[in-house]
Amino acid sequence: MRYISYILALLAGAVLSFEGAIYGELGKTIGKLETSFYNFFVGSIILGLLWLFFGKGKLSYAVKAPKWTLLGGVLGVVYLTSIVISVPFVGVGITMVAVIIGQLIMSMVIEHYGWLGSKKFRINKEKVLAVISMIIALILVY
Amino acid sequence: MSILMILFTFLGGITLSAQSAINGTFSRKAGTIETTLLTFLSGTLFLAILVLFFGQGNVLAILEVPKWQLSAVFLGVLFLLFIIAAVPKIGVIATNITVIIGQLVIGIVIDHFGWFNSLVINLDMKRYFSLLFMMIALYFIYKGNKRSIEEISA
Repeated sequence: MRYISYILALLAGAVLSFEGAIYGELGKTIGKLETSFYNFFVGSIILGLLWLFFGKGKLSYAVKAPKWTLLGGVLGVVYLTSIVISVPFVGVGITMVAVIIGQLIMSMVIEHYGWLGSKKFRINKEKVLAVISMIIALILVY
Repeated sequence: MSILMILFTFLGGITLSAQSAINGTFSRKAGTIETTLLTFLSGTLFLAILVLFFGQGNVLAILEVPKWQLSAVFLGVLFLLFIIAAVPKIGVIATNITVIIGQLVIGIVIDHFGWFNSLVINLDMKRYFSLLFMMIALYFIYKGNKRSIEEISA
């Protein structure tokens, strides 16, 4: 069962690369912020439909949930904006390396302390080695 | 200036991890599709403000661009759905590492073939080694995660 989650995560990354390449082209015509807006706007419509037909959870939970659990959307926008702003200054390579290293280190910290409601898993040797291998891989790509 | 920019992007990466953790938490109570919908809706609202004040492009040009460029929105939706489904099962770090590997591998393939008008960058020795290190990382994260989960259930 756990395998499926790994495969989903791999697919998510693959999809993100295609998305990035295609939106790169779209951004040239309509602008970068506008491209993000297009993505979120039309994405909301698609998800609205998915939710109507297949939603089994409780959207109304959004009203009583602790407010910080609603911040997912804003954080996504902060991320996007930071990339849009920095690429022209330092280039795609350095931007991606900095983003990914930030992401990896923060993931480790979040999980180790069980922050933001995630399950608490201690950092172990293997996870540190995985992060180091990723950083080497990144430096080799760019 | 550029050091500042790098730090800023680094912060961008931090917010991305925080996003997957927060969304994972919310989805346990509200459901995967519901969490994705909420993320997209609130993101749309914030971006609407940003585009209004800082937008320099032209949203209306959307009607004139080739349709294949618009199809990426389905990929954007799948991306979040997949992540929100994976985080509660395998945790934040395993999800993020695995996502990044998927992203880099396909990125290397796109570069190699120059798909979507991208710059052609051939698969050279450095990139082969990079793929090797990604496989090593994937192996370690799977092992490491299995051990944490066994320790918790023991």
